Amino acid sequence: MANDRYDTPRKKASFEVRDLNNFVYDMSRCIKCKGCYWVDHTYMPGVKYTTRCPSGTWNEFDSYQAAGKLRIGLAVAEGKFDWTPKLLEVVYADPLCGACDVGCKRNLDLEIELSLEALRMKAVKDGAGPMPAHKKIARNIADTHNQFGAPHDNRKKWIDKDISVAEKADLLYFAGCSASHTNNEIARATGKILNASGSPFMIMKDEWCCGNVLYSVGMIDEATKIAKRNIEAVKTSGAKTLVTSCAECYRMWKVDYPKMLDIATADLGFEVIHLLEFADGAIRNGRLKPTRNVDLRLTYHDSCGVSRLCDAWRPWKGERGWMGTIEPTYKRRRGTEGLYGQPRNILSAIPGLTVVEMPRIRENAFCCGAGRGTREAFPDLARFSANQRLEEVREVGAEALVSACPFCKNNFLQAIKAHGEEIKVLDISEVILASL
Amino acid sequence: MAITKEAYKALECVVGSEFITDDPILCEGYRSGPGGYESATGYERVMTTTPGAVILPRTTDDVQKIVRICNRYKVAYVPYSTGFYGPRSHCHVKNELLIDMKRMRDFELDDKHWYATVQPGVTYSPLQAECLRRGGYVVVGGGGAQVSVVANMICDGWSPLSLRIGFPHRRILGVELVLPDGEILRTGSLAVHDDAFWGEGIGPDLRGMLRGYTGVLGCLGIVTKLALKILPFQPEELKPTGISPNTGLALPVNRVKWLNFQVPSKEAETQVMYEIGKAEIAGAVTKVPLFWRAIAKTEGKEDFWDIWGKESEETIKNFHIVRVLLIGFTSEAQMRYDEAVLNDIVKEVGGVQRPTKPIDQSWIKNADSAGMWLMCGAYVSVDYIIESIPHADTHGPTYAELKARYTPPFMPDYGDPGWTMVCEAGHQGYSEYLVYWDPDEDTNPVDRFYVETSKMNIRERYYTSLLGSHQPLYLTGPKYGPNYHEWLLKVKGEFDPLWICHPPVPLAHDQFVERAEWMKSMKDWESPDEFPMPKW
Amino acid sequence: MATKDDLAKIVGESNVSDALEDLSGYSRDLSLHPAAMADVVVRPGTSEEVSGVIKWANRNNVPVVPVSSRTHFHGCTIPKQGGVVLDMVRMKRIVEIDEYNRKVCIEAGVTWRQLTEELDKQNMRVIMPLLPHPERSVLTDWLEREVPTNTVYDYGEPMQSLEVVWPTGEIFRAGSASVNGYPDSKSKGTNPAGPGLDFYRFVQGAQGTMGVVTWTNLKIESKPKIDNILFAALDDLARAEDFLYRILPRRIGQEVLLLNNVDLATILADKWPDDFEKLRATLPAWTLIIVISGLRRRPEEKVAYEMEFIGEVIRNEFKDIALTDNLPGFPGIGKKLLSLLRKPWPKEVYWKNQWKGAAHSLFFIAKPSATPLYKSIVEEIAMAHGYALESLGMYIQPIEHNRACHMEFNFFYDPECGSEKALIKSLSREAAKELLNSGAFFTRPYGDLAAINYERAGGYASALKRVKKLFDPNNIMNPGNLCF
Repeated sequence: MANDRYDTPRKKASFEVRDLNNFVYDMSRCIKCKGCYWVDHTYMPGVKYTTRCPSGTWNEFDSYQAAGKLRIGLAVAEGKFDWTPKLLEVVYADPLCGACDVGCKRNLDLEIELSLEALRMKAVKDGAGPMPAHKKIARNIADTHNQFGAPHDNRKKWIDKDISVAEKADLLYFAGCSASHTNNEIARATGKILNASGSPFMIMKDEWCCGNVLYSVGMIDEATKIAKRNIEAVKTSGAKTLVTSCAECYRMWKVDYPKMLDIATADLGFEVIHLLEFADGAIRNGRLKPTRNVDLRLTYHDSCGVSRLCDAWRPWKGERGWMGTIEPTYKRRRGTEGLYGQPRNILSAIPGLTVVEMPRIRENAFCCGAGRGTREAFPDLARFSANQRLEEVREVGAEALVSACPFCKNNFLQAIKAHGEEIKVLDISEVILASL
Repeated sequence: MAITKEAYKALECVVGSEFITDDPILCEGYRSGPGGYESATGYERVMTTTPGAVILPRTTDDVQKIVRICNRYKVAYVPYSTGFYGPRSHCHVKNELLIDMKRMRDFELDDKHWYATVQPGVTYSPLQAECLRRGGYVVVGGGGAQVSVVANMICDGWSPLSLRIGFPHRRILGVELVLPDGEILRTGSLAVHDDAFWGEGIGPDLRGMLRGYTGVLGCLGIVTKLALKILPFQPEELKPTGISPNTGLALPVNRVKWLNFQVPSKEAETQVMYEIGKAEIAGAVTKVPLFWRAIAKTEGKEDFWDIWGKESEETIKNFHIVRVLLIGFTSEAQMRYDEAVLNDIVKEVGGVQRPTKPIDQSWIKNADSAGMWLMCGAYVSVDYIIESIPHADTHGPTYAELKARYTPPFMPDYGDPGWTMVCEAGHQGYSEYLVYWDPDEDTNPVDRFYVETSKMNIRERYYTSLLGSHQPLYLTGPKYGPNYHEWLLKVKGEFDPLWICHPPVPLAHDQFVERAEWMKSMKDWESPDEFPMPKW
Repeated sequence: MATKDDLAKIVGESNVSDALEDLSGYSRDLSLHPAAMADVVVRPGTSEEVSGVIKWANRNNVPVVPVSSRTHFHGCTIPKQGGVVLDMVRMKRIVEIDEYNRKVCIEAGVTWRQLTEELDKQNMRVIMPLLPHPERSVLTDWLEREVPTNTVYDYGEPMQSLEVVWPTGEIFRAGSASVNGYPDSKSKGTNPAGPGLDFYRFVQGAQGTMGVVTWTNLKIESKPKIDNILFAALDDLARAEDFLYRILPRRIGQEVLLLNNVDLATILADKWPDDFEKLRATLPAWTLIIVISGLRRRPEEKVAYEMEFIGEVIRNEFKDIALTDNLPGFPGIGKKLLSLLRKPWPKEVYWKNQWKGAAHSLFFIAKPSATPLYKSIVEEIAMAHGYALESLGMYIQPIEHNRACHMEFNFFYDPECGSEKALIKSLSREAAKELLNSGAFFTRPYGDLAAINYERAGGYASALKRVKKLFDPNNIMNPGNLCF
């Protein structure tokens, strides 16, 4: 019996997303259990709020959830289809939130997220993708080093006289495009929190976009260039830890940068953390003291970049043989390293807050629908997803919705404005600051 | 015949252009395989195809209109609730319309009279969540918490919790279905009222057309509404805990707990399960195949094979675990009574209790069927039978013997005879035999084994769930009843003379045997030169 | 006569008769249905003989009326279009009592008395409807969906696999008895479902119109070791239902039932009419009967926890209900009733017939909370027809955790009095219509109920007729019943 395992012909295999054929195995093993679509059954709240797949809930053909997409992906790998607008929609109308990956990996060892990423790489390689709105973002990044096309010189405008930025420090704050250009309140709040904790921090001499959208839409060559450039900049700075207040940037730096360079997160040369981890640690060891009362009934939204998608990256290549077993073995990234406890610890330490949980939380959270270029290319999907989530906010009677990502914040704000509602939308940095 | 423009337009008028498509990309998303239940088999490759169009109705009215349009324009169709059941629930003929029922999600629950009324898009875990909230529970079938309640109830669905509450068909109350010709049939109290609280009659019971023990796979109409019995549970909350993949319900152990017992022999296993049924205690009991326990413990596929690789026929033969779920339906005192009786029973066979976590990871709300694919990539339950305990006891080993001749390509299981448990307080025994294989291997022997099991059941005089459309009808038909196939075909012919509803079921497996070269050697039974159905 | 000779060749000369004195017994029964005569009666001894008779009937377009009991209440066995009465009286074997699998296999002619006596010897029992007639066929009563007094089994019906002779004459086995070679097979016949379709559903509630069931497997149960019978006197039916809604989902009790004073008096009275009149006048409006039992293992502990639970519920929520082991004012009622509940009716005259000679039962399935409404509907209609309310018998049988109940109204009358029969018939019709309009569900449409219900369930009737035509293309099987 032991010999059977090793006599079956073995094929080379790898999790390299540049080649869709690396995921033919995964795409062909989908069992249509739709764990990719449903909330984890143990946590299923009832007949409302049953799904956590935004694209599959927005468009109810199976083809828009992973179970359908993987079948389509297989056909693409086999060269069965030309790239049509419909195919592009199936591939790109999707915030790549990781719900499908985590849902599938509850039971199986299939790399769903990587398959979907690889599909986008293929779309770009074939000259079909990305979407026009993504191309615009790419041009903005190339021209102005931010996804909005805002003047690059304005990047540090968020730094006001109340915030002290060190010339050199172990801690480097990466503000990101949103905090720098459209959501200064987040960068300012973060800067003040870092100051209040007594941890000096520096910023990048010349901060560029992390390249999130580039990577997410399949422009891996461009994204890799940026990754190399940014990593080098951090190393040059001597920083030991990079902290960010944006969930998308966090995911990029921690997971997709090493992925693109075929190294492990642990081998980046510096630690990558989110403000959530920083603040949680600082509150626990007394460096941050939230003493001011914040009278608010709020609920916390687990942004994808700091939940399902942020397990440290470990590359893999090797061989696959008998019964699909691989060698060397690989510890699967199942979404267990999500920052679920940290925000809740932080919020429970703030006096006056009433924290209520929505029906879908942590790895079951329903993505806001905005991230990774989705809102720009598919505003309808982003609006739909935000509205799905806002229903939950209303259900639990929260006055405020808090997240750890500017994309979530802006998308929710826009949806609320459209309804003319009174729900406040805040970044967690703002809530922490209010308590100091 | 292709779906004509006129037919498509008429269908579009029913649901709106947003909910119908014939785009080949979107239709490809509805391909059966290559992965899935009973996928990567010859049946899947030879008999299934992608739909010509997919439509998503919302109401019974929509479904009726769609079916009538299909009848007018001769468009074959197949009802599809989640697609989990594998190739047999997917399109079998070209240019077929796949009717995806997921938008039909209406749900009502009467917690005073213990029943819920659902449409086909409602799956088990949401239903169970609603029931648990109100002090009730349903049986989440082994197919998994992700399966459609309607589909599972009219096909097959049992779990260790079937200890008390019987066959799915005894739990079906009022039903509404759209017959293949577009007529609506309402059964039970739905026939005369807007309330599905009772399932019998009026007079002879036409629920007989629904299930046939393990279903007719949608070839006799589309169920659009079904009421099912909820069972009273106990009042304490079962809190979900853990982060995926280690999620489970924390059990209030004064009212709900799983207990594992190691007993000295296979006979002792049977005796414990039998006595539990006879004592009329407990909420669930099951013996579990050893490799399921390995799956529950494992961190991944390779880890599983490391664990499993340490086992052998010897270790299997000597490892006997019975799992029991105690439920304090009445009170804590009742729970204590059940546990005292259970300990008496276990002591009688020389068994010992093993440590058990106060958590339910599978069966109450989640039923982890997906884990069945972890090991090899392909799986099917090649039989699942409710009969008597003696039947269950010998059935598994008989299968194991046959399976050994087909291993490889089947996964080595060291003679493990599958899953057994006891139903309806021990009046019945249950056995399920599962097989696993690597879809990259030559799967022709899998197809042959499948039909071989049918012959084995006939030869050894076992009952089997794989009748009707699951196996060649002309093979099993003459041997059960006898000639049940003639009645099934008569009913089919009466209600679907065009064979427009999911063709060529129930003759699909017969057709497979005719079409697949490697199956020809298996054919040693009579069947007509022309099957009694129109050609599609 | 050609018919008699033909049939004699099939069943043997001594098992055919066209004599008036033989036929007249089948021409009438205890229902309101007018009498009608068959042409001949046959008494087959085997399934093959049954099959032979039915095939002959098809060839000659002669109706067949299957009969399995010695007494009939609903008119189904009255030969409405003449033809052949097929009496299963000779097929009365208890084929097997399988204690390990807790099942029994019985032929159609096996009676309640016969079966309960045999099972008693083995310390086993079959769950029963309320006081079945000792000479009624057990098989037929379960086929006809009599409702058991035992509410505790989630699986409800005891039916397992069976053999049926279809109206075309084919012998067919449904469920796991369909295995070739059964019973010489691994299959023991415990699964009623399949093969291919759930055929057994077609013969349930069919009043003999879908074929002749020759034998069936049934579940049997262990006899409890301890039984405590409890009583509560209640005036308010709604309050009684509230109590049942509270305790039955907690799986309390074996037999649980509600009887009004009239029905209970009819059951208990020994000396007629004195006992009956006294009981009727003094029994409470409703008597709730609950049997708490200890089973084979630790029986005292089981009784203890159930009693503890009921006690707590009464103390905290139902102080107005006094549940005791004897009905005050009625010494010995406990012992008497307990014995009655576990056996078929022991006396010569059936309990419903003791008073006036006959009773017409109007029953249906209902949601228990609606029973007070149904009571007032029937009372109103009864009064309007001049039927005395003090003569109205009522029985409510909770089903499975009180998810539903069987509600039964008994109208007592003198079967020799044509005007009384007409009154009851008219009353019953009107009540049935009103009850149906108010949500009652008649699963067993005997007599007039058939037309009333099938008219309303047009879609169901139409599908049923299509199925019937497949199995009985010549409509020879007990025509004139249901919608056939």
